[in-house]
Amino acid sequence: MTNDMKNECGNDSTLAPVAIIGFGTAGVNAAIALRQAGYDGAIDVFSDLDTLPYSPILTSYYTGGIKPFDECFPWSDQEIDALALNIHQDEPAMELDVEAHTVKTPQGSFPYSKCIIATGSSPTTIGFPKDCGYEPLVLHSMDDALRMKAALENPRCERVLVSGASMVALKVVEACLAQGKKVTLVGMNDHILDFNALPEAAIRFERNLEAKGVAFKLGQTIQKVCAKPCEGHPEERVLEVSFSNGDAEEFDEIAVAHGMKSNLDFMKPGALDKDQGLLVDEFMRTSNPDVYAVGDVAQALELTSGEKRIVGIWKNAALQGACAGKAIACELSGTAPQLEDAYRGSISSNTIAVDGTLFLSAGTIDPGANGEVEVREDDNMTVVYIYRSSDDGENRKLVGFNITSDTDEEGGIAYDTGAMLTLRIKEGLALSHKS
Amino acid sequence: MDSTDNTRNSSEVQNEATPECLLDGEAAYWEFLGTCTQCGHCTKACPSLTAAEMTLGDIAKAMLAAERESANRDDLAIAIAQNPRLIQAVRGCFFCTTCKNTCFAHNDVCDLIYNARVDFQNLGLIPRYAWTSVQVDQEWDIFTAYRAIYGIYLGDLTRHVATDDHEAESDCEVAFFPGCSLAAYAPDLTREIFETVQELGGKTTMIDHCCGSPLKSAGFFDRAEALCDKIAAETEFSGVKTMVCVCPGCANAMKATFAQHGLDVDVQLLPGYLSEHGFAPKRPLPDTPLCLSKSCQDRDGSYLEETCEALEIDSDIPTIFHGCCGAGGAVSAFDPNRQANQADSKLSFAEDGSTVITMCPTCTYTYASQLLSAPRNISNKHYAELMFENQFDWPQVFAQLQGMFEGEYGPWLNQVFA
Repeated sequence: MTNDMKNECGNDSTLAPVAIIGFGTAGVNAAIALRQAGYDGAIDVFSDLDTLPYSPILTSYYTGGIKPFDECFPWSDQEIDALALNIHQDEPAMELDVEAHTVKTPQGSFPYSKCIIATGSSPTTIGFPKDCGYEPLVLHSMDDALRMKAALENPRCERVLVSGASMVALKVVEACLAQGKKVTLVGMNDHILDFNALPEAAIRFERNLEAKGVAFKLGQTIQKVCAKPCEGHPEERVLEVSFSNGDAEEFDEIAVAHGMKSNLDFMKPGALDKDQGLLVDEFMRTSNPDVYAVGDVAQALELTSGEKRIVGIWKNAALQGACAGKAIACELSGTAPQLEDAYRGSISSNTIAVDGTLFLSAGTIDPGANGEVEVREDDNMTVVYIYRSSDDGENRKLVGFNITSDTDEEGGIAYDTGAMLTLRIKEGLALSHKS
Repeated sequence: MDSTDNTRNSSEVQNEATPECLLDGEAAYWEFLGTCTQCGHCTKACPSLTAAEMTLGDIAKAMLAAERESANRDDLAIAIAQNPRLIQAVRGCFFCTTCKNTCFAHNDVCDLIYNARVDFQNLGLIPRYAWTSVQVDQEWDIFTAYRAIYGIYLGDLTRHVATDDHEAESDCEVAFFPGCSLAAYAPDLTREIFETVQELGGKTTMIDHCCGSPLKSAGFFDRAEALCDKIAAETEFSGVKTMVCVCPGCANAMKATFAQHGLDVDVQLLPGYLSEHGFAPKRPLPDTPLCLSKSCQDRDGSYLEETCEALEIDSDIPTIFHGCCGAGGAVSAFDPNRQANQADSKLSFAEDGSTVITMCPTCTYTYASQLLSAPRNISNKHYAELMFENQFDWPQVFAQLQGMFEGEYGPWLNQVFA
């Protein structure tokens, strides 16, 4: 490459654009990092949205009537404009041809020099009875939120069944309570938050939610749903739900939170190394050196397990997007990405506040073979510490915690404790990785 | 390929509108903007953000928006000066990280606000009176002036620096870092701790500098870094392998500095060092209920645990957790009432008749000042006072601080700190 083929930032101006497929947190942060790292070439963004990028974290607030629609979009027109992107709105990728370096959309085929896959994930309704004549509510995108909000604001909707016991399920519970609905939660395991909480913390959270009127059907699943006309209002329908223990109950709406699935249907099988998501290295590069994957489609280093896992939380998506953007800017300017800019890995970290009661967690709930669990409780809070030890029983380190607080005081001791313990987990894991 | 109808090509907007980069912290604002969900939890966690009606992300947005609207730095300074909410949010920050702790993403408020303070300083938006007395990289600041006026001499302890008394020595084992407040306001306690550190760990020198925190708060980030570079050079020259700090904030700053310089120096907080060497406190604990005040610089709470262990008290003791004592971030120079309210709010957690144990000498100073102006039935002690014989004499300190501006040195001080 001759110098006169490079622009001021050292980028080769003859190269095809950088393509970003998907325009959520990960995609936006990739674009920001590309620009901040000095890449001033073209960036094509392919989005299935016709709006600005939204925050999935805020959809439950919108659904619950806590935040207006306009406040669910973290970045303004002016901020997005300042990134100088070619945004192909409502133009999702149909195919990524990694050999030909093209992104195919309904509007045509677009070449790329480097491509970032940031297509996120979508809720799955697996396990919900099919062909029952009712499409359950889900909560992730703004479209999901619009549909759920409309359903909850229907004056005839009084009873909502939430199926699932995950963080998302509890976000739905939060929205339903905010809308004044009677909520029942059905979950297949004995306690809520089964992937995030040990029973000691989960039980207190369940107790707090019960005090707010939430009914639980734990250790059960939905067996059958029958949509039938509402008595006296034939234009309306009511949902008769049969549970695995033989109970039957009527509801007006059902929301399902049975997990998320990476949005990778546009990828040809075998085109990139894939497990649950696309496998990436420390710079978010997939098995193809010109294709990067970030956010809910990327299986990157998770620190407590030391394995590559999808950790589908906002901050990870942002950091991974930024990492990929920076790495691409380096590569396109002819330098290798810098080790200090590598993705350092993540730990799972969750916060959920439902109607004034709070649950926080980070790390893992698995103490491993030599580990132990400590529980401390007071009048307001239960803190569960999860420790692991080395084989000889030495080197005990904190690898996870749960906090359930009966009150949700921003800036209060529960948040302070959660932040302290999160730091301790990270410091302990950083030391382990160093050694 | 030509743009299709649904393509939103913003590059023309960018090319027309992009001004030169007017903000030093632009990259930091963009980075923060990328990671903020705009959920608003941080606002509810902080009285200053609540007063400003801003989230942390709004601060980044407002800085970048002001830049977009401005053709040059003068315009930018005016645009920011005309945004009182932004000024409140940036200058009302204690750096206590209560907002960060509450943030779902634990976004780094300190980096954001330090960058904003630097931009404020560079744009002339922080008045001189707010920082002239805490230029701790200059010959005279409030601490060095106090020590000079009241004859506080600790030069014999700084062994690695040549003085009239001794040559510079480079075979020390331990560096003692008392920090500004302890060295100035409790020199006898400083000397007593120094002697103990030496007795326990071998030949000791004292690093008689500030960690640079006041400079950072005033927006002189580069000067703070330069001061830390100087400390790193002195530490390296002294030959020490261990540094003992009294204040969690100083310890954090020194850890970061040594990591940056690749120095293999183990930084410990005094209580941890004392416990490790089997030191037993020289005096019994007060016969009152105890209440610990966690330093907001003790981010992971480990210094708090070390302090409990050294004092031989239960770590389940009542603790004033979240937030700053009121001294952080040079907020007192912006809004003295906010500092006083914060200190009073923290002290209100302590049971009547109890002894509040602080970890940072500046917290001790701030609580002492608050208790003098608004007395409560509470004692206020730095942890070192509970372990050693010598004590702070706050009435004397405050009288002397006031007196130095009124006495024969008053005109000189007023000139130096003008």
